[in-house]
Amino acid sequence: MDDAPVVTPAAPPRKPIWKRPVSRRAVLATGAAGAAATALAVLWKGNDLSQILDHVRDLTHGYQGALSSERVRIAHLLRRAGFGATKAELDRYAAMGTTAATQSLLNYQQTSNAALEAQLPTIDPANANNARLVGAIQGWWLQRMAQTERPLEEKMTLFWHGLLTSGLDKAGPAQLFTQNQLFRTTALGNFDDLLKAVSKDPAMMVYLDTETNRKGKPNENYARELMELFTTGIGHYTEDDVRESARAFTGWTLSGAKQLRYTTQSLFVPRLYDAGQKTFMGKTGNFTGDDIVEKLVPLRATAERLSARLFTFFAYGNPEAEIVHHLADTFQNSRYNVGAVVREIFTMDAFYSDKAYRALVKSPAELVAQTLKVTGADAKGFIAAANAMAPMGQVLFYPPNVAGWPSGSSWINSSTLLTRINFANAATRRVAAPLPAQSVDQLTATLVDGNVTTNTREGLQAFAAAHPGDQAGLLFMGLATPEFQLN
Amino acid sequence: MFSRRDFIKQGLLPVFAGSAVPSIFANGVAAAAADAPQATNGRILVLVQLAGGNDGLNTLIPFQDGAYHDARPTLRQDTGVLTLNNQLGLHPNLKGLKASWDAGQLAIVQGVGYPSPNLSHFASMSIWETASVQGGIGDGWLGRYLNYLDNVGESPNHALEGVSAGSLVPPELRSKTPVTALQSLQSFRLQPINEHGTQVDVENPLMKFYGAFKTAGPAPFGALLDTTLQQALQASHALQSTDATYQSMATYPAKSAIASSLKLVAETIVSGLGVRVAHVTLGGFDNHAREKPAHDKLLLDLDQALAAFMQDLAGHGYGDKVLVMTWSEFGRRVKENGSAGTDHGTAAPMFLLGAPVKGGLYGEQPSLANLDNGNLKFTTDFRSVYASVLQGYLNAPASDLLGGNYEILPLLKA
Repeated sequence: MDDAPVVTPAAPPRKPIWKRPVSRRAVLATGAAGAAATALAVLWKGNDLSQILDHVRDLTHGYQGALSSERVRIAHLLRRAGFGATKAELDRYAAMGTTAATQSLLNYQQTSNAALEAQLPTIDPANANNARLVGAIQGWWLQRMAQTERPLEEKMTLFWHGLLTSGLDKAGPAQLFTQNQLFRTTALGNFDDLLKAVSKDPAMMVYLDTETNRKGKPNENYARELMELFTTGIGHYTEDDVRESARAFTGWTLSGAKQLRYTTQSLFVPRLYDAGQKTFMGKTGNFTGDDIVEKLVPLRATAERLSARLFTFFAYGNPEAEIVHHLADTFQNSRYNVGAVVREIFTMDAFYSDKAYRALVKSPAELVAQTLKVTGADAKGFIAAANAMAPMGQVLFYPPNVAGWPSGSSWINSSTLLTRINFANAATRRVAAPLPAQSVDQLTATLVDGNVTTNTREGLQAFAAAHPGDQAGLLFMGLATPEFQLN
Repeated sequence: MFSRRDFIKQGLLPVFAGSAVPSIFANGVAAAAADAPQATNGRILVLVQLAGGNDGLNTLIPFQDGAYHDARPTLRQDTGVLTLNNQLGLHPNLKGLKASWDAGQLAIVQGVGYPSPNLSHFASMSIWETASVQGGIGDGWLGRYLNYLDNVGESPNHALEGVSAGSLVPPELRSKTPVTALQSLQSFRLQPINEHGTQVDVENPLMKFYGAFKTAGPAPFGALLDTTLQQALQASHALQSTDATYQSMATYPAKSAIASSLKLVAETIVSGLGVRVAHVTLGGFDNHAREKPAHDKLLLDLDQALAAFMQDLAGHGYGDKVLVMTWSEFGRRVKENGSAGTDHGTAAPMFLLGAPVKGGLYGEQPSLANLDNGNLKFTTDFRSVYASVLQGYLNAPASDLLGGNYEILPLLKA
């Protein structure tokens, strides 16, 4: 460490970092906090602080101050807490102001989603053998993302799907549909409740093999990933902890297991449960799976890992140790309430700092949902669009492996970028209703906050001039800009 | 009048007014056309990742070892093992690999692993991908090789020297050198706008949007978007110009993702655009439950796809230029679990396939009697295999690229 001790002059007490716009200077200036932050950073990422500071330095860009405009703050918030906005939605939330808009997004249970529910196709999980069910549930979810009145509810559902992964490579579509409802209803609830429910969720039980985990025949798959990926992360448990906790998760099985992929009910069968003593993280007892969850969730490593994951999902990658620390405190002080952490993220100045602006790459789900918001689609269109996500690297209900989708720069390579652009082209050609005539400025105001490079603006203007009347073509050009690829 | 493609071929494309031609275009396809590698001698390495942890004991089978049969009451292969000697044989579904063995074109390194094995998929993958037991998110070991080619002026320096089949660039290839992820050659192009039946080219406006985003857009993604679009268009043009000429010289299995991936790689290789390293993935090996039917099917799929790939390449005169190497993040637990599957394990064999190899068994088969927590003790460090390929095949300085000296195994012909 080459951080020289900082002599702090007598000065008014500083606001903590999570209440200030984050700049490189702010991070560098956290003298006393520096040592603790370093220790945390080493614990968390294994990086030293200088690497983190280098990263902060890399994130300066030409949009300084973009988020000082309230309308841009609202657009930023709707991209992060949801899937972007139409002009009408932007107008409506902007009229509320940032504070009320944030409250409205967080307290979504007070918002009726009846209009969406009336639009959605009926999904009948009992009709689980239907080969078309996969496409149906993918289109159904994408339609929810594009048309929901509760954007954060769908965004959190996507978050949980990417963290507590299950996929169609093992589980059946009816099971994933059931799991998706679980994520939606417990989206901002307590993490221990969610993990207990997920441990008994049929899609998860098939995906990570708990349905075969029996007394005398333990299967380690779920126990290992619960610790490595869902809670503490690697380095906080031993191989013995994996083996012992696998025994604790025995007893739960699927009813009517003849057609394993089609069962959407799980049940506890006492004779399959290993009621013997297990030694887990230094304690011995007749632990159940719920007991294991209750031991893992209060651990500081779990709090920090989930906090960092949420912040990275909503704000920017590689959060400062101080921010992670604060969010982890929030998590622990709220009895593991996820909603409390998310609320804290959306009210942090760091969330609206220059560093956060366009600091994420739109995932295919975000890109496609926002595109469909702008172009509109019918039920068939949503299914087709869900299919079109595959070559972008994201298939709903089918994460690449148990670690979920990689994010950030992983979404962009030569193949996926061409696919994203070609999708925008196809989507704008599918628009049924004639698009209203709009200027380049109106277009960029809705799609990308009106914040575009000179090259982008000139390119769009040149296209509009050369192709008068081709509103779909111009919209495609707007969706194909590099600005729109970012979130 | 030059066509747009002519400009690109000669590296003369005016990207937009007032800007220098990006070096990626200037050096790219023109250099590829000249494509006269020296040290590399045109040699190509194709990595086949068996993701999820392949069961090595049911791939290279110690069929004479009583301990194998005891540990695997339901999973053991009792019949049809393709014997290599009086102790070991290949899984019955690996008939193509057995034929390569008989032709002296299959080298098998036994018991490959590393010290203090990590049983996490992702931690162990990262160790193999970076060739560092610390793992992490640094450059991949083959990314470092591509960088080395750049540094010594051997690189064709275009977007196709490293290719992967799929929607993601694999971490082994991660470095500052661009790598192209390919999903199909047909889709790897920018579609024009259809304006009332008239095709309107969109490359020029997009080049304008993206062309200055490296500096005008936000870091770090501004640069990523800028260079990726240029790389994509360059690779796309190069591929479109050769697409029509490829005819496969083998029948690839239908409805097989790994066969499609390998066919795509073959097509890219024989288009002569200077592929140096390619990567394909076959997933599904994490067989904690009901392993046998799943694993049998995976190995059949792999074997048939590889057989077609090798035949296709040989038919195009690339037989001597391509080495295929398989890897997996770990093997499985010796003793099967109660779900007729296996949990995460450690050491497993690696396969090296093709005319460049000296066929045979290398290293030492791990003992089933002397286990570590139920897992095999590795006998050959995977970095020794990497070093052997880097030095013995790719003529690259293995010690520099791997950050250490590892034993060179005589796996390859000079």
